Amino acid sequence: MILIAIVIGCILGAVIGIYAPMVPYTYSGYLAIAIIAALDSVFGGIAATLNKNFDLKIFVTGFFGNAILSILLTYLGQKLNVDIYLAAIVVFVGRMFNNLAIIRRYYLNKWTPNKKEDNENSAKIQK
Amino acid sequence: MLKKQISITLGIMCFALTMAIVIQLRTVHSSTSTVPQSLVEDSLRDEVLRWKEKYDNAYAELAISNKRLEEVRKLATQNDITSMAKQQEITESNMLLGLTEVTGPGFEIILSDNNTGLTSEGNKVLDITSQIVHYDDLLQVVNALNNAGAEAISINGNRIIQTTAITCEGNIIKINGQRISSPFVIKAIGSPAILSGSLTMIGGYLYLMEEDGVNVQTNQSDNLVVEAYNGVISYKYIKSKK
Repeated sequence: MILIAIVIGCILGAVIGIYAPMVPYTYSGYLAIAIIAALDSVFGGIAATLNKNFDLKIFVTGFFGNAILSILLTYLGQKLNVDIYLAAIVVFVGRMFNNLAIIRRYYLNKWTPNKKEDNENSAKIQK
Repeated sequence: MLKKQISITLGIMCFALTMAIVIQLRTVHSSTSTVPQSLVEDSLRDEVLRWKEKYDNAYAELAISNKRLEEVRKLATQNDITSMAKQQEITESNMLLGLTEVTGPGFEIILSDNNTGLTSEGNKVLDITSQIVHYDDLLQVVNALNNAGAEAISINGNRIIQTTAITCEGNIIKINGQRISSPFVIKAIGSPAILSGSLTMIGGYLYLMEEDGVNVQTNQSDNLVVEAYNGVISYKYIKSKK
């Protein structure tokens, strides 16, 4: 059910995106940073689901809140002539890597049940 | 129920995300050539600003040097009548060349674009470009002022000297290489009454411009200050014939 909804959403989004009007080049930077923020939220959501502490409210507010906040910060940075969006990218991409690491470890543990203890130990060491 | 809610929310979010990504991809794809172009533009703009700063610094230095030269000259010619006469000649020549700020009675004209699209009688104008101050209007006014015996003229602080060109550069006007735009403040030193009369009489150029709907303000003054030419007069081919 969830998977179907995600797939339908993605396909609909792609189709409408192809026919939607283009964003002026000036604003495409804002859209890009919003996409990064949203992707970060998605990976965070997946990691939270795997850890079994997924909360829809936190997920949704994070998804939209992060995107809007990063757009506002980018705008502020442009007004102040400081590349604040770089900071936003560093934070979001850093968190994305963290979440990807959590997801990776989860599946590693799941698919190698024999060496579960070993993997957990090595994960701790790596961390 | 909860599962349904979650799946709908996730679907909407995925929809928004993919739509944003696709739009962004298309935008970037359609304007890949804009990226280096705008970068080049930025660096060019930076360079222009840097050169301008350098020019301003050099110009300030030149002004200081000129002042010092003047002082030295004055000091050197203090006790010598022929040198003093020469010194006076130099000062006078510089004044006539437009290299010093001058003052005297004169006539001030302020021309500005009329953006209302109405003539002075309140009718709608047929041709909107007739209400904009063009470079040839300035040329005509300067010509009329010279004809009426103006001795020094400046437009927006740019002194008209013997090599001054007034050119059209799209929606701005260039004088002495300086870009200016409306409103234009034209100051001329000469007999205020004659200058004023020759331009504002019926059929005079300012009269015609005002009739077209351009905003024209005039002002006769007893002590008008006309700015000095803020450039360097250079020559390459000219030689005096003996």
